[in-house]
Order: sequence, then structure tokens, then C-alpha cells
Amino acid sequence: MDVQAMTTNDWLGVFFALIAAIGMVVTYVMVFRPSNKQNFEAQSRMALDDEDPIKLGEKR
Amino acid sequence: MEANQATPVKYDMEVVRWFTIAAAIYACVGTLIGVYVASELAFPFLNFDLEWITFGRLRPLHTNVVIFAFGGCALMATGFYIVQRTGATKLWSNGLAWATFIGWNLIMVSAVITLPLGWTSGKEYAELEWPIDIAIAVVWLMYGFNYIMTIGIRKTSHIYVSNWFTMGMIVMITYLHVVNSMAIPVSMTNSFSIYSGVQDAMIQWWWGHNAVGFYLTGGFLAIMYYFVPKQAGRPVFSYRLSVLHFWALTFGYVWLGAHHLQYTALPDWTGSLGAAVSLAMIIPSWGGAMNGMMTLSGAWDRLRTDYILRFLVVALAFYAMSTFEGPVMSIKTVNALSHYTDWTVGHVHSGALGWMAMVAYGAMYHMVKKLWGVEKMYSEGLVNVHFWLATIGTVVYVVAMWVSGIMQGLMWRDYDEYGTLTYTFVESVSAMHPYYAMRAVGGLIFNIGTWIALYNIVMTVRTASSARSASAVPANA
Repeated sequence: MDVQAMTTNDWLGVFFALIAAIGMVVTYVMVFRPSNKQNFEAQSRMALDDEDPIKLGEKR
Repeated sequence: MEANQATPVKYDMEVVRWFTIAAAIYACVGTLIGVYVASELAFPFLNFDLEWITFGRLRPLHTNVVIFAFGGCALMATGFYIVQRTGATKLWSNGLAWATFIGWNLIMVSAVITLPLGWTSGKEYAELEWPIDIAIAVVWLMYGFNYIMTIGIRKTSHIYVSNWFTMGMIVMITYLHVVNSMAIPVSMTNSFSIYSGVQDAMIQWWWGHNAVGFYLTGGFLAIMYYFVPKQAGRPVFSYRLSVLHFWALTFGYVWLGAHHLQYTALPDWTGSLGAAVSLAMIIPSWGGAMNGMMTLSGAWDRLRTDYILRFLVVALAFYAMSTFEGPVMSIKTVNALSHYTDWTVGHVHSGALGWMAMVAYGAMYHMVKKLWGVEKMYSEGLVNVHFWLATIGTVVYVVAMWVSGIMQGLMWRDYDEYGTLTYTFVESVSAMHPYYAMRAVGGLIFNIGTWIALYNIVMTVRTASSARSASAVPANA
């Protein structure tokens, strides 16, 4: 690879590609970490629960 | 003491009602224009030598009305509906939501006026001229700001996945629209892109494919992740998969645009990168489609009686099919055959009719019942009739374009033993005629379904209003 020939645009492309790749790895680790399973899956009923009246000031 | 009592949240739903009705109307108009332009291709005399109704002027009107008027109103209706209900809060600004409704509809009216007059920037899916582009940016930012501020005042601790998809759409479409629409105006009705040559093509398809990715896919996935569980009465099959679905699409989709420019002046590696990432996108797309379908686990029997659920599930099937077909078409070998042919048109419509319109109608039927407080639609039977017309119309359309497109590609590349092309271009056009007629019929079948839906929705609203008036009389007496 000819690093000397890399333009600013090329380096920007490399930077954003790396950010995307690292971001995906972080997401996979976060989502598939067993200790996070319960936290995530607890939200799966959220669309169904929006019929319930909430108490004023309560965080559901 | 009073603060501890369970209190139903009062939502701002009037603007959602108007967006929903507007979406139902635009679907009828947009697909009707589509049927007309499809008929013009099969029977060119329908141009009637009138410049305003030629294919070149009506086709962008068709795409603008269907994508931005029907799709936009459906997205804004469902967006404002979902963000309030999942956040247990009113809109941050009801006034801004109404300004968004009025502004968006004025933009659509301006499209109806300017495009038949031939005032166009010539950029696909971004044809409107610069003053309207500025208006789009302003109104879109109003929508986005109101949406994000509503998220900010939510009373729930978690932000539901549908809201993430919508916010992803809002951020990306702002960025894509502004960059793609940069132009030098020479008059109120004419401008030139600030990009030239291959850069212009690259920016154009960076916008074009990401409008598909973040608006027609991401925005409508927001609908899917709320309304499929809601209509099925089942929790999302895997919430973790939905999170992965969102981030994978967000990180991946922006790289795909170059696959529209295989075998052009664009550097070869960019097309290869676009195709490679397109193929990678099959994984999250199918993961999401399976997630939606598996949400019905234990409730599959409801498909026999719940016609609205049918819309949502068939939409997921088309989503899965389109997100497999697209990456396959981006592979250079397949693209050499498919590019510039009607296969692309068939692919786009399996997404637009089969996925986008079907999931939007599933959500609209669900919302109409909730918004007007009725147990059932005016006619459940008509929902079923609409479902079958939409499904059959889409299949007829897509099959016609598949056959036509593959035949076109094969005819264009065929040559004899002397290296001479076997067919003239005109011969390939002539061979398309039966398929163009078949496509118009498929579109017409779909269009009839949209009018039935509009009738059913209007009658449901009228019935609900009459019932409310009747029950209010004794109270007032």
C-alpha cells in the first residue's frame, strides 16, 4: 500500500470505515453479552404495555 | 395524593388523524398516476401530444407522490403516534406538528404543479427545484426537532426501538437531502448541481440508495417494530435482535450507493465495495424480517381472521425478498444483465408496493380504529378485499417486470457468430409490449385496492363520528 499517495479523502474514508467497524463490534458485544440479555428483553413488551395508564411523574 | 393515581395520558392525536387520512388519499393519487404512466409505456398514444402528461414529466410526479406524499404522511402519522404512546407523553409542540402537516402538504402541492411543467433538477428521487428543496429541509427539520424533543420529554426510561429507527431516518435524510440538493440557482425554476461528472453520479446514488435505506426501509421498520407486536398482541420475538438490526443497518447502509454505478466511470473498487456491503446487509435484514415473523409465534392462527395482521406479515415477506434480491442484483455479474432493464423497476416495486405500502396500510388500519375509538373497521370484508388486491396487484406487477427485464437484458447482450448484435433496440422495445400491458394491469389492481381502503377508512371515520354525535345528544339535552 502506498501510504504517501493517500489523500485527505482517503484518510477520511479509512477513519469512518474504522469507526463503523469498531461500532459494530461494540454493538455485537453489548447485545450478545449474557448479562445484558434480561435488560434488553425486558423492553420487548413495551409496545403492548402502552395501553396502561401511567401514574403521574412515574418513569415506566 | 392525586399524583399517585393512575391517569391516562392525553395525547395530541388530531394531527395524526389528518396525516393518516392524507396518506390514504395520496396512495390513491400516486398509484393512479403510476398506472397512467405505465399505460403510456404500453400505449404511447396516451401522451395525447400534451407535454404536461408525457412519461418524462409524470413519472417523477408518480415517484414523488408515492414516496414523499403517501410514504411521508404515513411515516409522520405513525412517527407522531408511536413516539407519544411509547414515551407516555404528548408531543413537545402540537403547533409545530400542525405546521409540519401544512408545510409538507404545501410541498406536495408544489410538486404537483412544478413537475408537469417540467421544472426539474433532473436528479432522480430529488427532482424538485431548489426553492422547494429548501422548503423540504425546513419542514423536515421541524418534524425532526419536534420528534426528538418529544423523546426528550418522555415519561418512560427506555427509548423503544421504533423511535431509534425513526431518529436514524430523521438524521440521515436531513444530511442526505441537504448534501444531494446543493445547487447553483440560475432562476427560481432552474438550477445546476454543484457536483459534476462522476462525483454528481456518486452523490446522486449515495442519496438515492440511502433514501431507500433510511426512509423506505428504516422509517418503515419503525412501523413494523411497533405495529406487528401490537396487532399480534405478542411481544417482539427478540428485542436484542431488533437493536442489532438497527445498528447494523445504520452502520452499513451508507456504503451501498455505488452499487448503482457498476460498469461506469466510477472507480471499479467503489462498485465492488458497494456490492460487498450490500451482500453483508442480507444478514441484518433477514434477521429483522425473521424477528418480525417470529413475533407471531403462538399467534399464527390469527392470520385466518385478522386481515390487518395479514398486511403486516406479507409486508415482512416482501421485505425479506427485496433485501435478498437487491444485494444479488448488485453483484457485478448479475448487474451486467439486470442494470438499465425493467428488472430494476420490478425490484423497486416489490419493495415499494409489497413492503412499504403493505406495512403502511397495516399500520393505518390499526391506527384508524384506535384514533377514532372503534372496535372494527366499517367493513372488515373490504380490508380483506384490499389485502388480496394489493397482494395480487404487486405480484402481477413484479412478475411482469422480472420477465420483461431479464428478456431485455438477454436481448441486448445477444450477438451472432459475426459479433453483430442479434436484436435492434427497437425489437427489444417491441418485445416488451405484453409485459408493459401486464404491468399496467397489476398496477391498476393495486390502485383499485387503495380506493377501497380510502372508502373503508372514510366510512369508519363517518360511522365513528355519527356514533359520537348520537351519544352526545342525550348528554347535551
